[in-house]
Amino acid sequence: MPYLEVSDLHLYYETVRGIVRAVDGVEFMLEKGEALGLVGESGCGKSSTANALLRLLPKNYIEYRGHIILGRHDLMNLSDDEFREQIRWKRISMIFQGAMNSLNPVLRVGFQVAEPLMIHRNLNKEEALRKASELFKLVGLPSELVDRYPHELSGGMKQRVVISMALVLNPELIILDEPTSALDVSIQAQIMNLLKTLKNELGITMVFITHDIALASDLSDKVAVMYAGQIVELGFIEDVLHKPLHPYSQKLVASVPLLKGNKKPEFIPGAPPDLVAPPHGCRFAPRCPFIKEKCMVDPPSSHLVGGGYVKCWLYE
Amino acid sequence: MSLFLREALREFWRGSLSKLGVIFLSIVIIVSFYTTTTMPLDYGTRFWSNPVFWVNNPKAAPPEWVNTFVSPKLLEHKVLSTSLPASVDAVEGSILKRYSVSYKLGVEQFPQFFNLEVSNLTYHEAPPTLILSILKPDGYSIDLYTFIVERPFENESIPFIRYTLEPKRVLLSGEVQVARALSNFISARYGELLSPSQIIDIGYEQIIFGERSALKSFTPLKGTYTLTLTLASRNPNDNIGSCRFILGGQVYGLMGTDLLGRDLFSGLLFGFPVALLIGFATSVITTALGAGLGIMSGYIGGRIDDLIQRFSDIVNNFPQLPLLIFLTFIFGGKLWVIVLVLVAFGWPGLTIIVRSMVLSVKGAPFVESALAVGASRLRIMGRHIFPQVAPFILSQLIFYTPSAILSEAALSFLGLGDPTIPTWGQILEYGFRNGAVYLGYWWWILPPGLLIIYSAITFVFIAMGLEPVVNPRLRRWR
Amino acid sequence: MGLGKTLAVRGLTLIAVLFCVLLLTVAVIGATGVSDRILNAMLNERLRGIRQVLSTQITDPDELNRAIEAIEDDLIHSYGLDQPWYVRMPSMLARIIILDLGNARTIQTFTGSRLVSDIILERLPNTILIMITVLIINFLVGLIIGVKSATRPGSLLDRFISIYSSISYAIPTWWLGLLMILVFSFYFRLFPFGGMFSAPPPTELIPRLLDLIWHAAMPIITLVIALSGSWIYITRSVVITTAQEDFVTVARAKGLSERLVMWRYIIRVAAPPILTNLMLGLAAYLGGAILTETVFSWPGMGLLYYHAIVSIDEALILALTYIFTLIYVISRFLLEVFYVILDPRVRYG
Repeated sequence: MPYLEVSDLHLYYETVRGIVRAVDGVEFMLEKGEALGLVGESGCGKSSTANALLRLLPKNYIEYRGHIILGRHDLMNLSDDEFREQIRWKRISMIFQGAMNSLNPVLRVGFQVAEPLMIHRNLNKEEALRKASELFKLVGLPSELVDRYPHELSGGMKQRVVISMALVLNPELIILDEPTSALDVSIQAQIMNLLKTLKNELGITMVFITHDIALASDLSDKVAVMYAGQIVELGFIEDVLHKPLHPYSQKLVASVPLLKGNKKPEFIPGAPPDLVAPPHGCRFAPRCPFIKEKCMVDPPSSHLVGGGYVKCWLYE
Repeated sequence: MSLFLREALREFWRGSLSKLGVIFLSIVIIVSFYTTTTMPLDYGTRFWSNPVFWVNNPKAAPPEWVNTFVSPKLLEHKVLSTSLPASVDAVEGSILKRYSVSYKLGVEQFPQFFNLEVSNLTYHEAPPTLILSILKPDGYSIDLYTFIVERPFENESIPFIRYTLEPKRVLLSGEVQVARALSNFISARYGELLSPSQIIDIGYEQIIFGERSALKSFTPLKGTYTLTLTLASRNPNDNIGSCRFILGGQVYGLMGTDLLGRDLFSGLLFGFPVALLIGFATSVITTALGAGLGIMSGYIGGRIDDLIQRFSDIVNNFPQLPLLIFLTFIFGGKLWVIVLVLVAFGWPGLTIIVRSMVLSVKGAPFVESALAVGASRLRIMGRHIFPQVAPFILSQLIFYTPSAILSEAALSFLGLGDPTIPTWGQILEYGFRNGAVYLGYWWWILPPGLLIIYSAITFVFIAMGLEPVVNPRLRRWR
Repeated sequence: MGLGKTLAVRGLTLIAVLFCVLLLTVAVIGATGVSDRILNAMLNERLRGIRQVLSTQITDPDELNRAIEAIEDDLIHSYGLDQPWYVRMPSMLARIIILDLGNARTIQTFTGSRLVSDIILERLPNTILIMITVLIINFLVGLIIGVKSATRPGSLLDRFISIYSSISYAIPTWWLGLLMILVFSFYFRLFPFGGMFSAPPPTELIPRLLDLIWHAAMPIITLVIALSGSWIYITRSVVITTAQEDFVTVARAKGLSERLVMWRYIIRVAAPPILTNLMLGLAAYLGGAILTETVFSWPGMGLLYYHAIVSIDEALILALTYIFTLIYVISRFLLEVFYVILDPRVRYG
């Protein structure tokens, strides 16, 4: 029984240019303790999917439907207040893109980590701060840093604070939206190691969003390749990396520069489609090298042996 | 460069505020242009501050168009003139030339005053006599005032011409003769005795233009009056060039008058170019100084930077108005003093901002490459750094203008301005000091203030319209 | 700590401001001969007093005159009038700081003293009363309306605020006061024409208080209308910008109630820049106080300025310039204290 089951997830919002179909029928499944890498180009809807999972809807949304089943409850059935009290941070937490700005500049970092404890678990301030400093140790920060302000910490330290903040209520699922994209490479490696350790030791289910498929492979068990608001391929990381099925995934994998060998990285011609008016039929068709007449119709998701699927006429 | 300009203009034009601002500004410029071409530059000292020029206007009178809204209607101001005698008689060797006008009093109000002006009088023999008389609608006639023209000078030859540069003005309310004449009239007409001093207490106009309702009170007598100036002389060639009979009304002009009778419309008109001048002069100099120092400070750095920074930080923290008051008080409220003082306190704000902008531009690659090529510091500052900060400087220039106008108005209001030049603040100062507010002289209080607001808003709108151009983050998306 | 050091630096700058202003005023009055006149006037007053006292002791007029002349020479020397103005700048500075400037030309306090220092100290509380009331009202109004407007961008309130702010910048405060008097005092007869109390003022506490409020209402309302515009607009802009920050989304994701998010993550973070803008606008409050008091004949220091200008009272103007600068520097410093408390980022480590 999959622990997290997302199906038929849609999130549209209205702009002056039209209706943006940011999340257009996303589905995936995760077992407990698994990590899913959600990979794709900028603007393909990864962050919107993350927000949709936490019901962080923009003010101008006009459609939000689907099923998010976490451990047997469909979260869609909850009211907004129930969602806020029961789910947010307690069962699902999130690490946002850009740790620089995820922390309130006028509050001490320890307090910000301790805050959910005071609100959701009714702990008093000293107890909560004590827990916070324990968490700091867990993520590799000296516990004296609880009294510091965000501007006194380096980028890597801030990201660790953000991670500990996400862990504070022992959530079942953590969504990580590009947790390392604002950091330089050496810090990136440290943070990735930390995340791997936490995953293994604490058994947290993760959804890891990134545009870097190589980075995703470091942490994820499964990977979902997203394009124009839809998942075009979902499978185990080794399968997708070594034998990508969807033409887009193939291009994506091929674009990663390799340390060894002489193979030049490829690029994908064209630009991602406008989410306001996605093309009819297969959305990747205009850029696909294998385009056929059939591709005028939107392909169904063909389920594969290993439990994943691919959305392409080549496999129908 | 021109592409940038075109795009900038398009972006500027997009907002409705910008359009409004440009329209307003055009109006201001057109009016200022009209004023400077039709009114003399020394209008302030020659006319505005010269009470004689306004002596024939009603005092503190609301504008004429008020009459379209009120009833009963207020008395109109009348200036009746004539150049030709209505009749010429010869009586016992004297020639009597009568210059007459008719005046219709149609409302139940007394004229504020009755003045006479005689210009270009020529005589050939003995000095003639001038008699001012009035024929009332009830048939009675009063000889109000008589005077003899001045004798010829020693070396003067015939013909003797008088009252050419300045007309002979007779303000009846100031002449005791009239009181005596009226006293005689009263006793002849009503058989009662009123001494001249009592006449003065009642007021001439009440007796001249009224009929008696009680011993000492008169009600206005409506009807047509004939006002006659008789020239009695020996020589039939003696004549008057023109004479004017001024009957002070209760309303006057487009914008009314102030306590001195000054036509507020021309005063307000003159305020346009002055406001524009002060606004632009101040903002241009302030911007040039502030931006120049900012660029120097930011680019050259080092000790000069420290010095300029400290200095501008301190001056920026000066309390403006008290110091403005102090300095204009000590040095006098001349226009250029005000401009200088405003500049002296205005430049640091711009310097500080421009300096930080320059600091961020300084490290740009194109600056480095210019340095590598061997460009001089001046050249880099002028050709490379300045264009980057120019849009912002321009918007600040526009933004400083209204504050200069407002500051000058405030200083004038406090009595520190230039009293010879009619600015809007000056007009309000005179009004406030003489209690126009407490007397309800709205036509004196409202228009100058509205004009100040109007001119300030013009620049605010334009500055707001320029904001998206200089600050790309605020640009409107299509 | 960091807090103390930051404040010390800001405090020093403000003291430098005060000092520079004083230096400027002293130099100006020295170079234009005004200080000579002021000191001469003070000297002559003292001489007069001394002459009165001495004439009761010495009856011989010649001896009296000789004694007076000797004292006069001493006084001239002690006042520094026998030296050029730049030499006696320090003593002039000290004199201004403690308001030892002699008598005003025509103005008196209610108790009959003509000393400049007495007059100023008598009027000072009246000005402070108005300024503080206006500041508090503006702060509350700005906060409430600014936040309301920010949470509803594009609404009717929001658009009204934008128009109102840009217009209120262009409206001269003093003219607004004139307008208010014209409308509410002259036409509607709702409020008095000016002054602080009716004549004669009520003697019992409650009626006196009510009378005061009735008289203070219009000046305060005028200042609030004129000065709140930009304040509301800035609050609104800062709140909108802050509300778009990532940490606000994080706060919501953490399950915090909307109210808590608003207070702790938006307003609390927006407070420092809003406060900065308040600091920048403080000069406008001072200017507004001066002009409004003049219009409403409110017996504070602003009206004193006006009277001093009309009666060409140099000593009074000098003293007023100093006091106003002092008030300004003190209020700036207080605001800086608030700012450093609110924003940990500016404390030097």
